[in-house]
Amino acid sequence: MKYSFLFSFGLGCAWLLSPESLVTAGNLAGKLGCLSLVFIVLVLLLFIFCNRLLHHPQLPDSPDKEFLILRSALGNIPATALSLVSCLPLTILAATALFVTSGYTFNEVFLYWFPNFGFAFLLLACLTILQILPEQYSYRAQTLFMILTGGGLLFLSLYAIAGTEASAADLFHKPASFSPADPALFLPVFTGITLVHEKYSANVVMVFGTTLFILWIIASMLYVSPERLASSTIPYMTAARKIMGEPGRQLMGLVVISGSCAAVNALMLLSRQMFTHISPALLPVKSRRWLLPLFTGSCTGILMATGLAGDEALETLLHSGLILWLSYYLILCCSALSWLKKNSGTAMLPSCLPPLFLTGGLLSLIFGSPARTETILHIFFAISAAALVAAVWFFINKKQITTSKETTV
Amino acid sequence: MKRLLVLMSFFLFIGTLPAFAADAPLISKDELKAKIGTTGISILDVRSGRDWSSSEFKIKGAIRASGKDYDKWSKDYSRDQTLVLYCA
Repeated sequence: MKYSFLFSFGLGCAWLLSPESLVTAGNLAGKLGCLSLVFIVLVLLLFIFCNRLLHHPQLPDSPDKEFLILRSALGNIPATALSLVSCLPLTILAATALFVTSGYTFNEVFLYWFPNFGFAFLLLACLTILQILPEQYSYRAQTLFMILTGGGLLFLSLYAIAGTEASAADLFHKPASFSPADPALFLPVFTGITLVHEKYSANVVMVFGTTLFILWIIASMLYVSPERLASSTIPYMTAARKIMGEPGRQLMGLVVISGSCAAVNALMLLSRQMFTHISPALLPVKSRRWLLPLFTGSCTGILMATGLAGDEALETLLHSGLILWLSYYLILCCSALSWLKKNSGTAMLPSCLPPLFLTGGLLSLIFGSPARTETILHIFFAISAAALVAAVWFFINKKQITTSKETTV
Repeated sequence: MKRLLVLMSFFLFIGTLPAFAADAPLISKDELKAKIGTTGISILDVRSGRDWSSSEFKIKGAIRASGKDYDKWSKDYSRDQTLVLYCA
Protein backbone atom coordinates (compact mmCIF):
# COMPACT_ATOMS: atom_id res chain seq x y z
CA MET A 1 0.00 0.00 0.00
CA LYS A 2 1.34 3.42 -0.93
CA TYR A 3 1.39 5.88 1.92
CA SER A 4 0.72 9.46 0.84
CA PHE A 5 1.14 12.17 3.44
CA LEU A 6 -2.61 12.74 3.89
CA PHE A 7 -3.30 9.03 4.08
CA SER A 8 -0.65 8.51 6.77
CA PHE A 9 -1.83 11.63 8.60
CA GLY A 10 -5.40 10.30 8.52
CA LEU A 11 -4.35 7.02 10.07
CA GLY A 12 -1.67 8.14 12.51
CA CYS A 13 -3.07 11.33 14.01
CA ALA A 14 -6.73 10.40 14.41
CA TRP A 15 -6.61 10.06 18.20
CA LEU A 16 -4.32 13.09 18.52
CA LEU A 17 -6.97 15.39 17.04
CA SER A 18 -9.99 13.63 18.55
CA PRO A 19 -12.20 15.46 21.09
CA GLU A 20 -10.67 13.26 23.82
CA SER A 21 -7.17 14.61 23.18
CA LEU A 22 -8.51 18.15 22.81
CA VAL A 23 -10.00 17.88 26.32
CA THR A 24 -6.66 16.62 27.68
CA ALA A 25 -4.89 19.47 25.86
CA GLY A 26 -7.24 22.14 27.23
CA ASN A 27 -7.23 20.87 30.81
CA LEU A 28 -3.45 20.45 30.93
CA ALA A 29 -2.86 23.82 29.23
CA GLY A 30 -4.99 25.43 31.94
CA LYS A 31 -3.24 23.57 34.70
CA LEU A 32 0.37 23.67 33.51
CA GLY A 33 0.49 26.66 31.15
CA CYS A 34 3.53 26.62 28.87
CA LEU A 35 4.87 23.50 30.55
CA SER A 36 2.17 21.58 28.68
CA LEU A 37 3.90 22.52 25.39
CA VAL A 38 7.21 21.19 26.71
CA PHE A 39 5.57 17.94 27.80
CA ILE A 40 3.82 17.31 24.49
CA VAL A 41 7.15 17.80 22.68
CA LEU A 42 8.83 15.34 25.07
CA VAL A 43 6.10 12.77 24.44
CA LEU A 44 6.51 13.30 20.69
CA LEU A 45 10.26 12.66 20.98
CA LEU A 46 9.60 9.52 23.00
CA PHE A 47 7.29 8.16 20.29
CA ILE A 48 9.75 9.10 17.54
CA PHE A 49 12.50 7.12 19.31
CA CYS A 50 10.15 4.16 19.86
CA ASN A 51 9.15 4.38 16.20
CA ARG A 52 12.84 4.31 15.22
CA LEU A 53 13.28 1.17 17.27
CA LEU A 54 10.23 -0.50 15.72
CA HIS A 55 11.47 0.27 12.21
CA HIS A 56 15.02 -0.98 12.75
CA PRO A 57 16.33 -2.39 9.44
CA GLN A 58 17.13 -5.73 11.09
CA LEU A 59 13.54 -6.34 12.12
CA PRO A 60 11.27 -8.25 9.70
CA ASP A 61 9.79 -6.09 6.98
CA SER A 62 6.32 -7.51 6.41
CA PRO A 63 2.81 -6.19 7.14
CA ASP A 64 2.42 -8.65 10.03
CA LYS A 65 5.80 -7.84 11.56
CA GLU A 66 4.27 -6.63 14.84
CA PHE A 67 2.67 -10.02 15.44
CA LEU A 68 5.85 -11.85 14.37
CA ILE A 69 7.98 -9.84 16.79
CA LEU A 70 5.51 -10.36 19.63
CA ARG A 71 5.20 -14.08 18.90
CA SER A 72 8.95 -14.55 18.86
CA ALA A 73 9.24 -12.93 22.30
CA LEU A 74 6.10 -14.17 24.05
CA GLY A 75 4.74 -17.18 22.19
CA ASN A 76 1.57 -17.66 20.20
CA ILE A 77 -1.18 -17.42 22.82
CA PRO A 78 0.15 -14.38 24.75
CA ALA A 79 0.89 -12.56 21.46
CA THR A 80 -2.66 -13.21 20.25
CA ALA A 81 -4.19 -12.21 23.58
CA LEU A 82 -2.16 -9.01 23.68
CA SER A 83 -3.09 -8.09 20.11
CA LEU A 84 -6.78 -8.64 20.87
CA VAL A 85 -6.82 -6.75 24.12
CA SER A 86 -4.90 -3.78 22.75
CA CYS A 87 -7.53 -2.70 20.27
CA LEU A 88 -10.95 -4.32 20.75
CA PRO A 89 -11.95 -2.88 24.16
CA LEU A 90 -10.56 0.51 23.17
CA THR A 91 -12.48 0.56 19.87
CA ILE A 92 -15.78 -0.27 21.56
CA LEU A 93 -15.34 2.11 24.50
CA ALA A 94 -13.97 4.98 22.44
CA ALA A 95 -16.84 4.65 19.98
CA THR A 96 -19.35 4.79 22.86
CA ALA A 97 -17.72 7.87 24.36
CA LEU A 98 -16.99 9.77 21.16
CA PHE A 99 -20.35 9.19 19.49
CA VAL A 100 -22.20 10.40 22.57
CA THR A 101 -20.02 13.52 22.60
CA SER A 102 -20.73 14.01 18.89
CA GLY A 103 -24.47 13.51 19.50
CA TYR A 104 -24.49 16.33 22.05
CA THR A 105 -22.39 18.55 19.81
CA PHE A 106 -24.71 18.03 16.84
CA ASN A 107 -27.80 18.63 18.96
CA GLU A 108 -26.49 21.74 20.70
CA VAL A 109 -24.59 23.34 17.83
CA PHE A 110 -26.52 22.43 14.68
CA LEU A 111 -30.04 21.01 15.18
CA TYR A 112 -31.82 21.42 18.53
CA TRP A 113 -34.73 19.22 17.47
CA PHE A 114 -32.58 16.25 16.48
CA PRO A 115 -32.11 13.83 19.40
CA ASN A 116 -28.47 13.51 20.46
CA PHE A 117 -28.89 9.80 21.10
CA GLY A 118 -30.35 9.36 17.59
CA PHE A 119 -27.38 11.14 16.03
CA ALA A 120 -24.93 8.99 18.03
CA PHE A 121 -26.62 5.84 16.68
CA LEU A 122 -26.72 7.25 13.17
CA LEU A 123 -22.96 7.83 13.26
CA LEU A 124 -22.41 4.34 14.64
CA ALA A 125 -24.52 2.83 11.85
CA CYS A 126 -22.71 4.82 9.15
CA LEU A 127 -19.24 3.86 10.39
CA THR A 128 -20.23 0.21 10.82
CA ILE A 129 -21.48 0.16 7.24
CA LEU A 130 -18.33 1.95 6.07
CA GLN A 131 -16.24 -0.82 7.63
CA ILE A 132 -18.31 -3.50 5.92
CA LEU A 133 -17.78 -1.90 2.49
CA PRO A 134 -14.50 -2.60 0.64
CA GLU A 135 -11.46 -1.32 2.52
CA GLN A 136 -10.63 1.57 0.18
CA TYR A 137 -13.85 3.36 1.21
CA SER A 138 -12.88 3.48 4.87
CA TYR A 139 -9.40 4.71 3.94
CA ARG A 140 -10.81 7.47 1.73
CA ALA A 141 -13.34 8.46 4.38
CA GLN A 142 -10.54 8.51 6.97
CA THR A 143 -8.54 10.98 4.89
CA LEU A 144 -11.63 13.16 4.43
CA PHE A 145 -12.47 13.13 8.15
CA MET A 146 -8.93 14.15 9.00
CA ILE A 147 -8.80 16.91 6.39
CA LEU A 148 -11.94 18.39 7.97
CA THR A 149 -10.62 17.97 11.51
CA GLY A 150 -7.08 19.18 10.86
CA GLY A 151 -8.21 21.96 8.51
CA GLY A 152 -10.81 23.24 10.98
CA LEU A 153 -8.38 23.24 13.88
CA LEU A 154 -5.65 24.91 11.83
CA PHE A 155 -8.03 27.63 10.65
CA LEU A 156 -9.31 28.34 14.16
CA SER A 157 -5.78 28.35 15.61
CA LEU A 158 -4.35 30.69 12.96
CA TYR A 159 -7.40 32.97 13.18
CA ALA A 160 -6.96 33.11 16.95
CA ILE A 161 -3.22 33.75 16.88
CA ALA A 162 -3.46 36.37 14.11
CA GLY A 163 -6.32 38.24 15.74
CA THR A 164 -5.20 38.25 19.34
CA GLU A 165 -4.33 41.36 21.26
CA ALA A 166 -2.71 39.34 24.00
CA SER A 167 1.06 39.31 24.16
CA ALA A 168 3.28 36.23 24.18
CA ALA A 169 3.97 36.98 27.84
CA ASP A 170 0.34 36.11 28.61
CA LEU A 171 1.13 32.51 27.79
CA PHE A 172 3.73 32.23 30.51
CA HIS A 173 1.50 32.01 33.52
CA LYS A 174 2.67 30.11 36.54
CA PRO A 175 1.39 26.49 36.61
CA ALA A 176 -1.55 26.23 39.00
CA SER A 177 -0.29 22.88 40.20
CA PHE A 178 2.10 20.27 38.98
CA SER A 179 2.44 16.61 39.68
CA PRO A 180 5.08 14.29 38.18
CA ALA A 181 2.24 12.21 36.69
CA ASP A 182 1.02 15.13 34.51
CA PRO A 183 3.38 14.65 31.50
CA ALA A 184 2.18 11.04 31.23
CA LEU A 185 -1.37 12.24 30.56
CA PHE A 186 -0.19 13.20 27.08
CA LEU A 187 1.00 9.63 26.32
CA PRO A 188 -2.34 8.34 24.95
CA VAL A 189 -2.53 11.07 22.28
CA PHE A 190 -0.49 8.95 19.88
CA THR A 191 -2.77 5.93 20.23
CA GLY A 192 -2.98 4.04 16.94
CA ILE A 193 0.28 5.34 15.48
CA THR A 194 1.17 1.72 14.58
CA LEU A 195 -1.37 2.01 11.75
CA VAL A 196 1.32 3.88 9.79
CA HIS A 197 3.78 1.26 8.64
CA GLU A 198 6.52 3.45 7.27
CA LYS A 199 9.09 4.93 9.62
CA TYR A 200 9.49 8.21 7.74
CA SER A 201 5.73 8.72 7.26
CA ALA A 202 5.02 7.98 10.92
CA ASN A 203 7.60 10.52 12.11
CA VAL A 204 6.46 13.21 9.69
CA VAL A 205 2.77 12.87 10.52
CA MET A 206 3.49 12.83 14.25
CA VAL A 207 5.48 16.07 13.94
CA PHE A 208 2.78 17.66 11.75
CA GLY A 209 -0.06 16.52 14.02
CA THR A 210 1.77 17.74 17.12
CA THR A 211 2.35 21.14 15.48
CA LEU A 212 -1.42 21.46 14.92
CA PHE A 213 -2.03 20.32 18.48
CA ILE A 214 0.44 22.88 19.87
CA LEU A 215 -1.07 25.69 17.77
CA TRP A 216 -4.48 24.84 19.19
CA ILE A 217 -3.13 24.80 22.77
CA ILE A 218 -1.56 28.24 22.20
CA ALA A 219 -4.81 29.58 20.71
CA SER A 220 -6.79 28.24 23.70
CA MET A 221 -4.35 29.76 26.19
CA LEU A 222 -4.54 33.15 24.49
CA TYR A 223 -8.34 33.37 24.72
CA VAL A 224 -9.46 31.42 27.77
CA SER A 225 -8.37 31.90 31.37
CA PRO A 226 -6.25 29.07 32.81
CA GLU A 227 -8.82 28.33 35.53
CA ARG A 228 -11.60 27.98 32.95
CA LEU A 229 -9.47 25.78 30.68
CA ALA A 230 -8.43 23.53 33.53
CA SER A 231 -11.95 23.01 34.87
CA SER A 232 -13.98 22.84 31.64
CA THR A 233 -15.28 19.49 30.42
CA ILE A 234 -15.35 20.86 26.85
CA PRO A 235 -12.44 23.33 26.74
CA TYR A 236 -12.32 23.10 22.93
CA MET A 237 -15.83 24.55 22.61
CA THR A 238 -15.18 27.26 25.19
CA ALA A 239 -12.05 28.32 23.28
CA ALA A 240 -13.74 28.19 19.85
CA ARG A 241 -16.61 30.39 21.07
CA LYS A 242 -14.19 32.95 22.52
CA ILE A 243 -12.11 32.99 19.34
CA MET A 244 -14.82 33.36 16.69
CA GLY A 245 -18.19 33.50 18.40
CA GLU A 246 -21.03 31.49 16.82
CA PRO A 247 -19.12 30.62 13.59
CA GLY A 248 -16.28 29.35 15.80
CA ARG A 249 -18.71 27.11 17.68
CA GLN A 250 -20.05 25.72 14.41
CA LEU A 251 -16.58 25.11 13.04
CA MET A 252 -15.59 23.38 16.26
CA GLY A 253 -18.80 21.33 16.05
CA LEU A 254 -17.65 20.10 12.66
CA VAL A 255 -14.15 19.39 14.03
CA VAL A 256 -15.60 17.40 16.94
CA ILE A 257 -17.91 15.29 14.77
CA SER A 258 -15.35 14.59 12.03
CA GLY A 259 -12.62 14.06 14.66
CA SER A 260 -14.81 11.50 16.45
CA CYS A 261 -15.53 9.68 13.18
CA ALA A 262 -11.81 9.71 12.31
CA ALA A 263 -10.78 8.34 15.70
CA VAL A 264 -13.38 5.55 15.71
CA ASN A 265 -12.76 4.64 12.06
CA ALA A 266 -9.00 4.49 12.71
CA LEU A 267 -9.53 2.24 15.74
CA MET A 268 -11.83 -0.02 13.72
CA LEU A 269 -9.13 -0.25 11.04
CA LEU A 270 -6.57 -1.00 13.76
CA SER A 271 -8.75 -3.85 15.07
CA ARG A 272 -9.13 -5.22 11.56
CA GLN A 273 -5.37 -5.02 11.03
CA MET A 274 -4.72 -6.90 14.27
CA PHE A 275 -7.18 -9.61 13.31
CA THR A 276 -5.61 -9.90 9.85
CA HIS A 277 -2.13 -10.37 11.28
CA ILE A 278 -2.92 -12.86 14.01
CA SER A 279 -1.76 -16.24 12.82
CA PRO A 280 -3.36 -18.76 12.49
CA ALA A 281 -6.27 -16.46 11.63
CA LEU A 282 -8.90 -16.00 14.32
CA LEU A 283 -11.56 -15.37 11.69
CA PRO A 284 -11.77 -16.55 8.08
CA VAL A 285 -10.94 -13.76 5.59
CA LYS A 286 -14.48 -13.62 4.18
CA SER A 287 -16.27 -13.28 7.50
CA ARG A 288 -13.66 -10.89 8.92
CA ARG A 289 -15.06 -8.05 6.81
CA TRP A 290 -18.60 -8.65 8.08
CA LEU A 291 -18.19 -10.03 11.53
CA LEU A 292 -15.66 -7.69 13.06
CA PRO A 293 -17.47 -4.38 12.29
CA LEU A 294 -20.80 -5.97 13.26
CA PHE A 295 -19.33 -7.21 16.52
CA THR A 296 -17.76 -3.87 17.47
CA GLY A 297 -20.83 -1.94 16.22
CA SER A 298 -23.27 -4.13 18.16
CA CYS A 299 -21.21 -3.99 21.36
CA THR A 300 -21.02 -0.19 21.09
CA GLY A 301 -24.77 0.00 20.38
CA ILE A 302 -25.55 -2.14 23.42
CA LEU A 303 -23.29 -0.06 25.66
CA MET A 304 -24.91 3.16 24.44
CA ALA A 305 -28.44 1.77 24.78
CA THR A 306 -27.78 0.53 28.31
CA GLY A 307 -26.66 4.00 29.35
CA LEU A 308 -22.93 3.54 29.83
CA ALA A 309 -22.39 7.05 28.45
CA GLY A 310 -24.28 8.44 31.43
CA ASP A 311 -22.14 6.48 33.85
CA GLU A 312 -18.91 7.78 35.37
CA ALA A 313 -17.49 4.26 34.87
CA LEU A 314 -17.07 4.97 31.14
CA GLU A 315 -14.16 7.33 31.81
CA THR A 316 -12.31 4.71 33.87
CA LEU A 317 -13.02 2.03 31.28
CA LEU A 318 -11.77 4.26 28.46
CA HIS A 319 -8.66 5.13 30.50
CA SER A 320 -8.03 1.38 30.96
CA GLY A 321 -8.51 0.82 27.21
CA LEU A 322 -5.90 3.45 26.40
CA ILE A 323 -3.51 1.94 28.94
CA LEU A 324 -3.99 -1.45 27.29
CA TRP A 325 -2.98 -0.04 23.89
CA LEU A 326 0.04 1.70 25.42
CA SER A 327 1.01 -1.55 27.17
CA TYR A 328 0.82 -3.32 23.83
CA TYR A 329 3.06 -0.64 22.31
CA LEU A 330 5.53 -0.95 25.19
CA ILE A 331 5.66 -4.75 24.99
CA LEU A 332 6.09 -4.46 21.23
CA CYS A 333 9.13 -2.19 21.74
CA CYS A 334 10.59 -4.59 24.32
CA SER A 335 9.97 -7.54 21.98
CA ALA A 336 11.73 -5.64 19.17
CA LEU A 337 14.71 -5.12 21.46
CA SER A 338 14.74 -8.81 22.33
CA TRP A 339 14.53 -9.72 18.60
CA LEU A 340 17.46 -7.43 17.78
CA LYS A 341 19.54 -8.83 20.61
CA LYS A 342 18.76 -12.41 19.61
CA ASN A 343 19.31 -12.02 15.89
CA SER A 344 22.07 -9.47 15.60
CA GLY A 345 23.20 -8.57 19.09
CA THR A 346 22.57 -4.89 18.32
CA ALA A 347 20.37 -4.01 21.29
CA MET A 348 22.28 -1.32 23.13
CA LEU A 349 21.59 0.85 26.13
CA PRO A 350 20.30 3.90 24.14
CA SER A 351 17.68 1.70 22.45
CA CYS A 352 16.46 0.58 25.87
CA LEU A 353 15.80 4.13 27.05
CA PRO A 354 12.54 4.89 25.15
CA PRO A 355 10.78 1.74 26.44
CA LEU A 356 12.11 2.56 29.90
CA PHE A 357 10.57 6.06 29.83
CA LEU A 358 7.38 4.61 28.39
CA THR A 359 7.23 2.15 31.30
CA GLY A 360 7.58 5.03 33.77
CA GLY A 361 4.82 6.98 32.01
CA LEU A 362 2.54 3.98 31.88
CA LEU A 363 2.99 3.26 35.59
CA SER A 364 2.22 6.85 36.47
CA LEU A 365 -0.89 6.72 34.24
CA ILE A 366 -2.07 3.65 36.16
CA PHE A 367 -1.12 4.68 39.69
CA GLY A 368 -1.71 8.41 39.22
CA SER A 369 -5.34 7.79 38.30
CA PRO A 370 -7.90 8.48 41.05
CA ALA A 371 -9.63 5.22 40.10
CA ARG A 372 -6.47 3.10 40.12
CA THR A 373 -8.05 0.02 41.71
CA GLU A 374 -10.82 -0.09 39.12
CA THR A 375 -8.29 0.52 36.32
CA ILE A 376 -6.11 -2.37 37.47
CA LEU A 377 -9.17 -4.62 37.78
CA HIS A 378 -10.40 -3.69 34.28
CA ILE A 379 -6.95 -4.39 32.81
CA PHE A 380 -6.75 -7.70 34.63
CA PHE A 381 -10.21 -8.82 33.45
CA ALA A 382 -9.59 -7.73 29.87
CA ILE A 383 -6.28 -9.58 29.68
CA SER A 384 -7.77 -12.70 31.29
CA ALA A 385 -10.69 -12.72 28.85
CA ALA A 386 -8.41 -12.22 25.84
CA ALA A 387 -6.06 -14.96 27.07
CA LEU A 388 -9.02 -17.32 27.44
CA VAL A 389 -10.27 -16.56 23.90
CA ALA A 390 -6.77 -17.03 22.49
CA ALA A 391 -6.22 -20.29 24.37
CA VAL A 392 -9.60 -21.73 23.29
CA TRP A 393 -8.96 -20.67 19.72
CA PHE A 394 -5.56 -22.32 19.60
CA PHE A 395 -6.95 -25.46 21.21
CA ILE A 396 -9.67 -25.72 18.50
CA ASN A 397 -7.22 -24.79 15.80
CA LYS A 398 -4.71 -27.39 16.98
CA LYS A 399 -7.40 -30.07 16.71
CA GLN A 400 -8.25 -28.94 13.19
CA ILE A 401 -4.59 -28.93 12.18
CA THR A 402 -4.12 -32.42 13.63
CA THR A 403 -7.28 -33.70 11.85
CA SER A 404 -6.22 -32.24 8.51
CA LYS A 405 -2.74 -33.75 8.92
CA GLU A 406 -4.24 -37.17 9.68
CA THR A 407 -6.51 -36.89 6.62
CA THR A 408 -3.53 -36.06 4.42
CA VAL A 409 -1.57 -39.06 5.73
CA MET B 1 -28.05 -3.02 0.00
CA LYS B 2 -31.19 -4.45 1.63
CA ARG B 3 -29.12 -5.72 4.55
CA LEU B 4 -27.51 -2.32 4.98
CA LEU B 5 -30.92 -0.62 5.07
CA VAL B 6 -32.19 -3.08 7.68
CA LEU B 7 -29.08 -2.48 9.78
CA MET B 8 -29.44 1.28 9.52
CA SER B 9 -33.15 1.16 10.45
CA PHE B 10 -32.31 -1.00 13.47
CA PHE B 11 -29.76 1.50 14.78
CA LEU B 12 -32.14 4.41 14.16
CA PHE B 13 -34.97 2.60 15.97
CA ILE B 14 -32.79 2.08 19.04
CA GLY B 15 -31.81 5.74 18.91
CA THR B 16 -35.42 6.94 19.10
CA LEU B 17 -36.46 4.69 22.01
CA PRO B 18 -36.15 7.45 24.67
CA ALA B 19 -38.93 9.34 22.88
CA PHE B 20 -41.38 6.67 24.09
CA ALA B 21 -40.67 7.32 27.77
CA ALA B 22 -43.55 7.63 30.25
CA ASP B 23 -45.43 10.94 30.70
CA ALA B 24 -44.17 13.40 33.29
CA PRO B 25 -45.35 16.92 34.17
CA LEU B 26 -43.39 19.28 31.93
CA ILE B 27 -42.38 22.90 32.33
CA SER B 28 -41.65 25.12 29.38
CA LYS B 29 -38.43 27.10 28.96
CA ASP B 30 -40.25 30.43 29.43
CA GLU B 31 -42.15 29.22 32.51
CA LEU B 32 -38.90 28.11 34.07
CA LYS B 33 -37.14 31.36 33.17
CA ALA B 34 -39.84 33.31 35.00
CA LYS B 35 -39.50 31.14 38.09
CA ILE B 36 -35.71 31.10 38.36
CA GLY B 37 -34.59 32.88 41.51
CA THR B 38 -37.95 32.60 43.26
CA THR B 39 -38.26 30.69 46.50
CA GLY B 40 -39.61 27.16 46.56
CA ILE B 41 -38.08 26.04 43.29
CA SER B 42 -34.89 24.05 42.81
CA ILE B 43 -33.41 23.06 39.50
CA LEU B 44 -31.66 19.71 39.41
CA ASP B 45 -29.36 18.63 36.60
CA VAL B 46 -29.79 14.86 36.63
CA ARG B 47 -27.33 14.16 33.84
CA SER B 48 -24.25 12.20 34.76
CA GLY B 49 -21.10 10.94 33.09
CA ARG B 50 -20.64 12.02 29.51
CA ASP B 51 -24.26 13.16 29.22
CA TRP B 52 -23.27 16.00 31.51
CA SER B 53 -19.63 16.51 30.58
CA SER B 54 -20.24 16.65 26.81
CA SER B 55 -23.00 19.21 27.07
CA GLU B 56 -22.35 22.89 26.59
CA PHE B 57 -25.65 23.92 28.14
CA LYS B 58 -25.88 23.97 31.87
CA ILE B 59 -28.49 26.09 33.69
CA LYS B 60 -26.86 28.56 36.04
CA GLY B 61 -27.50 27.63 39.65
CA ALA B 62 -28.65 24.09 38.82
CA ILE B 63 -27.60 21.44 41.30
CA ARG B 64 -26.20 18.16 40.02
CA ALA B 65 -28.18 15.18 41.28
CA SER B 66 -27.61 11.68 40.04
CA GLY B 67 -30.57 9.36 39.62
CA LYS B 68 -28.56 6.65 41.36
CA ASP B 69 -28.29 8.74 44.53
CA TYR B 70 -31.99 9.63 44.68
CA ASP B 71 -32.30 8.34 48.26
CA LYS B 72 -29.53 10.67 49.39
CA TRP B 73 -30.52 13.96 47.80
CA SER B 74 -34.30 13.57 47.95
CA LYS B 75 -34.14 14.04 51.73
CA ASP B 76 -32.69 17.53 51.26
CA TYR B 77 -35.96 18.88 49.82
CA SER B 78 -39.31 19.38 51.51
CA ARG B 79 -42.54 18.02 49.99
CA ASP B 80 -43.94 21.46 49.17
CA GLN B 81 -40.86 22.44 47.17
CA THR B 82 -40.99 22.37 43.35
CA LEU B 83 -38.18 20.35 41.83
CA VAL B 84 -37.40 20.87 38.17
CA LEU B 85 -35.32 18.03 36.78
CA TYR B 86 -33.61 18.30 33.43
CA CYS B 87 -31.67 15.68 31.58
CA ALA B 88 -30.97 17.08 28.11
